[in-house]
Amino acid sequence: MTSAPDLAIVGAGPAGLAAAIEGARLGLAVALYDEQPEPGGQIFRAAESVAAGKGAPLAAFGADYAEGPQLVARFRASPAAAGYMPRTTIWLLDRQRTLGHVQDGKARMLRPKRVLIATGAQERPVPLPGWTTPGVMTVGAAQGLMKSAGQVPEPPFALCGSGPLLYQFAAQLVAAGERRFTVLDTTPKGRWARALPFLPGALRDTDLLLKGLGLMQKVRMAGVPVLRHVRDVAVHGNGRVEHVTFRHGNHLGELPVQLLLLHQGVVPNVSLSLSVPLRHVWDAAQRCFRPALDAWGNSDVAGIAVAGDGGGIGGWQAATAQGELAALEAAHALGRIERAERDRQAAPIRARLKTALAARGLIDTLYAPPPLAALADATIVCRCEEVTAGQVRAAIAMGDTNPNAVKSRTRAGMGPCQGRMCGLTVSELVAHARGLPPDAAGTYRLRPPIKPLPVAVLADLDTSAVEEEEDAT
Amino acid sequence: MNASLHSSDAIVIGGGVVGGAIAYGLAKRGLSVTLLDEGDVAFRAARANFGLVWVHSKGPGFPAYQEWSQRSADLWGDFAAELTADSGVSPHHERRGGFHFTLGDEEFEARAQLLRRMHNQQPPGRYAARMVERSELERMLPNIRFGPRVSGASFSESDGQASPLHLLHGLMGACQARGVRLYGEHRASAITREPGGAFIVTAGPRRFAAPKLVLAAGNGNPPLAKMVGLEAPVRPQRGQVAVTERTERFFHHTGSGVRQLPEGTVILGSSEEEAGFDTSARSDVVGQIVHRNIQVMPDLARLRLVRFWAGLRVMTPDSFPVYNQSETHPGAFIATCHSGVTLAAAHANALAPQIIAGALSPEMAPFTARRFHVSKAA
Repeated sequence: MTSAPDLAIVGAGPAGLAAAIEGARLGLAVALYDEQPEPGGQIFRAAESVAAGKGAPLAAFGADYAEGPQLVARFRASPAAAGYMPRTTIWLLDRQRTLGHVQDGKARMLRPKRVLIATGAQERPVPLPGWTTPGVMTVGAAQGLMKSAGQVPEPPFALCGSGPLLYQFAAQLVAAGERRFTVLDTTPKGRWARALPFLPGALRDTDLLLKGLGLMQKVRMAGVPVLRHVRDVAVHGNGRVEHVTFRHGNHLGELPVQLLLLHQGVVPNVSLSLSVPLRHVWDAAQRCFRPALDAWGNSDVAGIAVAGDGGGIGGWQAATAQGELAALEAAHALGRIERAERDRQAAPIRARLKTALAARGLIDTLYAPPPLAALADATIVCRCEEVTAGQVRAAIAMGDTNPNAVKSRTRAGMGPCQGRMCGLTVSELVAHARGLPPDAAGTYRLRPPIKPLPVAVLADLDTSAVEEEEDAT
Repeated sequence: MNASLHSSDAIVIGGGVVGGAIAYGLAKRGLSVTLLDEGDVAFRAARANFGLVWVHSKGPGFPAYQEWSQRSADLWGDFAAELTADSGVSPHHERRGGFHFTLGDEEFEARAQLLRRMHNQQPPGRYAARMVERSELERMLPNIRFGPRVSGASFSESDGQASPLHLLHGLMGACQARGVRLYGEHRASAITREPGGAFIVTAGPRRFAAPKLVLAAGNGNPPLAKMVGLEAPVRPQRGQVAVTERTERFFHHTGSGVRQLPEGTVILGSSEEEAGFDTSARSDVVGQIVHRNIQVMPDLARLRLVRFWAGLRVMTPDSFPVYNQSETHPGAFIATCHSGVTLAAAHANALAPQIIAGALSPEMAPFTARRFHVSKAA
């Protein structure tokens, strides 16, 4: 595509795919950028390959995953497929909607009429003693390897943490024939009691709820040891994970493993939205930052919207609804459909969205992450620059009143990941020390490129599309 | 309501590297000092400073600035040591000489001509920079593969580098160690003078009093200067820098557009853009910066950029610093420049004593803001 698209979508997960299909149906010229070689996002990663019999067997991923290939097939059949750019990294988005992308070593900048950020979720970082030891990875990363390469972890290993994905992956391992692992469930005691008031809401989506309980049951029935209410997890090993220690009831537990898979739920991936920067708010229920959005996904910056988990965790069904709503809004904003028509078409989508979000209160309460204030001083917070919680606290004590001041003093957040792994932790540590809510403490200011960019690529940057437009105005 | 007055010997407005260095210099000579800073909303120039302690091309047509920069570079070693001792933070100062690389014969010739001018405006034997041809450059820097268009460089052993962020944090720590009272998130809004002679500064919810006042608020200086009969003819000039991931140390010297930090990251810079107070980074400009540096060192192309960003220089009409004491409000000084890192040592250990003495030395006379009146009349 040489001219700027009407609607540029970043991320080909459920939200991005749904928005692309809907946008094209409404007559918009759509471009869809995605880092992966195949559409589907993290949840439906490699959906086509798996459906075609490559990678792990489709059945291993459960009924939910089977809907992935269907969504991808609808996208492939849509006119939107013409604007699909796989293996493409977005490294820049600014308030003027200047979008920088790089594909096959060639970087370009352009200025679409509308931009939809559909970058989904990332796993919440789980800072605990020894989590940077080689041999520790996230459940999501292990699941990704299983989806795309059919790779099942080598025993002995353990899954550790809290959240729906923990048991989902455990069940997937069981379905794939692997039972030689342990589940260390860190969900504290008493969470079900606290989550009960949310049941009426969750009952509207009993399907999801029963599925969750069913997974847990399945894992236990298979004979996989599940230790619940585990605390004080620490990783040990000399250059490589050797064992993990923890508290279980009144006992000190120790487990020899060569791989530890951590998970503590997911949070919006806000790298791109923070770098614009869009205005963000603190989501107290989900303990994360998310962009401030209206009912159509519009941000505070004209022409930039967010759909899916990147705007607040809601799951893939909510994401497709939000993607479609954002596409309707884009078509309306660009004069393709009247306001009344937009609203008429949106009504059934909103009903779907409501159902999809019904169980959120329960899940958020049940799997709320442990407070970071208790983090030991020696625990590493920023993996790239190896900055500890103690160093962050010392910086705050010396007068640093916000995460950017901490960053400039300690280098936390200055590494290649740009604070993706430590941003939330540092914001929470500052907030806790100052007795403020995290949004008052603020977030890192993110700098482009959002993802590391080869120097050579930037040197040959093609800016002609943006320059032509500037000359014309 | 009569808010209580916080009194000290001197008030410095501006908690960047300029204000910090002056406050430190005053405090370690025994003054009680109050340092007022508006906080994180400030256009903190140090955050986007390239980190050069640079002499060899400073001050063409302005020998006093050339001399002042040289003096500061010569003071930097001791200054870094005392700062580290007082604060526990090393500013990572290194003085191994600096190169300005040239592409093609034309740039080499132009650079040679600049050096001749710089040489001629100094007393014999004082100016140390020289031109280095490509063959000599390759001998001096055997670790580096140069691009085919590199014709040579100008080089001076006087030049070095320091970490702007470590300098800033070191200054703040050293100030605190020397008893400076630091008020963050206190933006100075009004300055008056008591009949007895002390300046009263209103900042945030508080009022401060002192017989000496130093304005070091960078691009925030103009409105403050007016309140005490001073001039701050400054404008913001945008500069952008780009940083790569860490790599093994290959460049121990300093370059005017490329330098490597001790921990391994490479900084590429920097642009000069007139864009008002707009601090947004421009990828096309960064592209040009990167393009030039790859022509100098092609192996840079293999590194990955992790960040680029923009900051604002504090720029006077002729780019040289302004130092003045107010004629109408004696005791009020202004210090403003775009070389806060290079000049930090001079600000702490050469300018601060003059402020204590109550008069700027005769060699500082060329830095008066009155020089701009003359050029206007001409």
